Amino acid sequence: MVQLTPNKPYVTLRVKFKKVGSLQYISHLDLVRTMHKIIVRARLPLWYTEGFNPKPKMVFAAPLSIGTESLCEFMDIRLIDDIPPDEAMARLNANMTEEMQVLDAYYTEGKLTDLKWLFYEIGIMTDGATEELAAAAEKYLLGESVTVEKKTKPGEPTKTVDIRSQIKSASCRLFDGLIRISTTLSADASAFLNPEYVVSALKRELGILSNPDLTKEYYTIMRLNAYRADMTEFK
Amino acid sequence: MSENKNISSVLKSVNKPGRYIGGEYNRVMKNKEEVKCRFAFCFPDTYEIGMSNLGVRILYDVLNSDGDVWCERVYAPWEDMREKMKEYGIPLSAVESGDPLTAFDMVAFSLQYELCYTTALGMLRLAGIPLWAKDRAEDCPIVIGGGPCVFNSEPIAEFFDLINVGEGEEVLLEICHLYNEMRDNGSYTRAAFLRAASHIEGVYIPSLYEVSYNEDGTLKEYKPLYPDVPAKIKKRIIADLDTAPYPTKLVMPYVETVHDRIVLEVYRGCIRGCRFCQAGMVYRPIREKSPETLCKTAKCLYENTGYDEISLISLSISDYSQLRDLTDGLLSWTDDAHVSLSLPSLRIDSFSEELMQKVSSVRTGGLTFAPEAGTQRLRDVINKNVTEEDLMHAVGIAFRGGKSGVKLYFMNGLPTETLDDIAGIADLAKKVVRTYFEMPKNERPRGISVTVSVSCFVPKPFTPFQWERQNSLEELVQKQQHLKGCITDRKISYKYHEAKVSRIEGVLARGDRRLAPAIALMVERGAMLDAWDEYFDYDKWMSAFADAGVDPDFYTTRGFALDEVLPWDIIDCGVTKEFLLRERKKAYEEKTTPSCAEHCNGCGANKLGGKNKWCN
Repeated sequence: MVQLTPNKPYVTLRVKFKKVGSLQYISHLDLVRTMHKIIVRARLPLWYTEGFNPKPKMVFAAPLSIGTESLCEFMDIRLIDDIPPDEAMARLNANMTEEMQVLDAYYTEGKLTDLKWLFYEIGIMTDGATEELAAAAEKYLLGESVTVEKKTKPGEPTKTVDIRSQIKSASCRLFDGLIRISTTLSADASAFLNPEYVVSALKRELGILSNPDLTKEYYTIMRLNAYRADMTEFK
Repeated sequence: MSENKNISSVLKSVNKPGRYIGGEYNRVMKNKEEVKCRFAFCFPDTYEIGMSNLGVRILYDVLNSDGDVWCERVYAPWEDMREKMKEYGIPLSAVESGDPLTAFDMVAFSLQYELCYTTALGMLRLAGIPLWAKDRAEDCPIVIGGGPCVFNSEPIAEFFDLINVGEGEEVLLEICHLYNEMRDNGSYTRAAFLRAASHIEGVYIPSLYEVSYNEDGTLKEYKPLYPDVPAKIKKRIIADLDTAPYPTKLVMPYVETVHDRIVLEVYRGCIRGCRFCQAGMVYRPIREKSPETLCKTAKCLYENTGYDEISLISLSISDYSQLRDLTDGLLSWTDDAHVSLSLPSLRIDSFSEELMQKVSSVRTGGLTFAPEAGTQRLRDVINKNVTEEDLMHAVGIAFRGGKSGVKLYFMNGLPTETLDDIAGIADLAKKVVRTYFEMPKNERPRGISVTVSVSCFVPKPFTPFQWERQNSLEELVQKQQHLKGCITDRKISYKYHEAKVSRIEGVLARGDRRLAPAIALMVERGAMLDAWDEYFDYDKWMSAFADAGVDPDFYTTRGFALDEVLPWDIIDCGVTKEFLLRERKKAYEEKTTPSCAEHCNGCGANKLGGKNKWCN
């Protein structure tokens, strides 16, 4: 049981959820607006900030970019009543569609910023996908340096950046005609690596994904797991 | 669109892909094998605009309440998506099932503004449905049009199999029922169905009329092809709005839409009778909902959507006879639930300190007032019935309440307008600035900005000004420049609408069937989303008119004779021609007409029925 005090008149519920299928095309901003309405519909006892313009407090870990699916998203919400987590989860799920569902919910005192690494699976459908190509991809990702072009500010020229230090691990295999990359990337606020950059690095190095026909060559990205700095599972 | 496997890779390559995915909470899914009538409700604009439309929300709910009908939604793709659809052979499809439009029994379009015509027809083309009704085969969906534009649907009539004139809640179900019945008993053919549908009140089947013209190019007559086809189509209305169906659940968009909030329709119709306003005439008679019904609906919608804003809408919300009961009823729970109230339109003479405190959109947003014309004389001509004193009183309250920005709406090109009336707009704006400076410093906010926004008058069907000529492009531009010269105060900023857009709107709003080939040319030449500045192309329109042999001046600067047969004479919208002529005469006499609340002016709309406290 968590105690509510005048100094801290709320409890923090951590919600782990998935966002898959067509919902990969929903931006983070739209997710935040959607989630607020879901919580209101689920009638969770939301805590609102004090002041002239009260707002609920909802914090998300490592926002997803458009085009990435996830089985491990985290959101912390502040409640003024510690309702049973199972009930909160059931009520939230009743107000979501099948492509977004809560997988776990629990009260926590932990920080979302303890999430340091994220594990992804990237599937690349490309012309001439072979074991050799997969091996070349792995060798490159685990080599000395992995460079990408990054846009810093709109209108300014792109910069060449080495992202190697943000790649903890990577293994590439040929699976089902696809190059499948399992990789753990930095999720630290100061060094967050978007998995799209791994794809663009491979594109640049190996010359893959150059077919303009989008139905012939494409890729998918799925976020699967989260870890702390010591590589224990983030919860 | 989710079922098409090509779509997923395409979505990564377009802007704002979230508008194409569907899958929203509260969307209606049915088993297509178990329904008799599949109904595609198309909105000829983007998802963000279409999802905000109240009419679509209501009719989606009404149609899906019938177990035999499955209504799905369709929106216009943006240009980048359209290119990809062409490249990968992806047909236009419905959001719910992802099925192409050709799989549907009915394909209906909500026509909200004239410039959406090319988008609607462009959507038919993307769906692979023939543009002209006469070219459609037996197994092709029935193409339906409805919405405010169909009070003169003639320019596009020949593209539609069936047109729904007036409110659709009852008619659309009757159309589906007739269709299901004829399918069930084997009597269905396209022709037999349309003929039978023409007997439903509020249904117009354009192909069942022969239109002839005089030598001078004016209309001669509309002749029904068969004796059982009505000579005039009477607009349909819902008699009792208080018991009419209203959605208690809304499809919840993931992406932000234009009006992303609960919209509460308070009443239909308008008691005012501004002489330029088509909505004020064609939605008569006035019918109100009770505060009890509205409060109940609002609570229900809040619980089923989670929205934090409720917008009260109607043509002039402050004319609602029980506004205080309604706002008090809503405010009894909205503050605690962190829900705010907003009002989109406020009349100058109704603006009060009380409203400013109650309504958060008034409390926090900018303020807009619409005097419409710069002098009392011209305001009397258009029957706007607000005075300079009303405006100064309203802005006084606004300034005292801490508002530093006021927006004023006007129109250029109104009948009898002179350069003095235009200079009057600048004078009025100056007086607003003066009102600010005459207030003690401690009672007014710091800084003031007045925005004068001027649109161009389009004489619309079923208004007392329906016969008027529209100003030419040159006249409008000259007037805009004149006003620019009159505004010298740096506290006043001036914005005006593109006159070219108003001219095309004029042609489309007042046109007849001879415009159709020009519109078809526009569509063949790729026009779509004309209502968006980036796609509106005046020269393209002018060459389409020229190539189709259409003289745009005939429909705009010419003006129509009082005894001329008008393209929209085929429609009976309730308000009589005699009333419109009376009002026109009074306009030229600079005489005003009181509102319906003061006394009945005999507009004729009461013959349609409708429960309200004003009409006899």
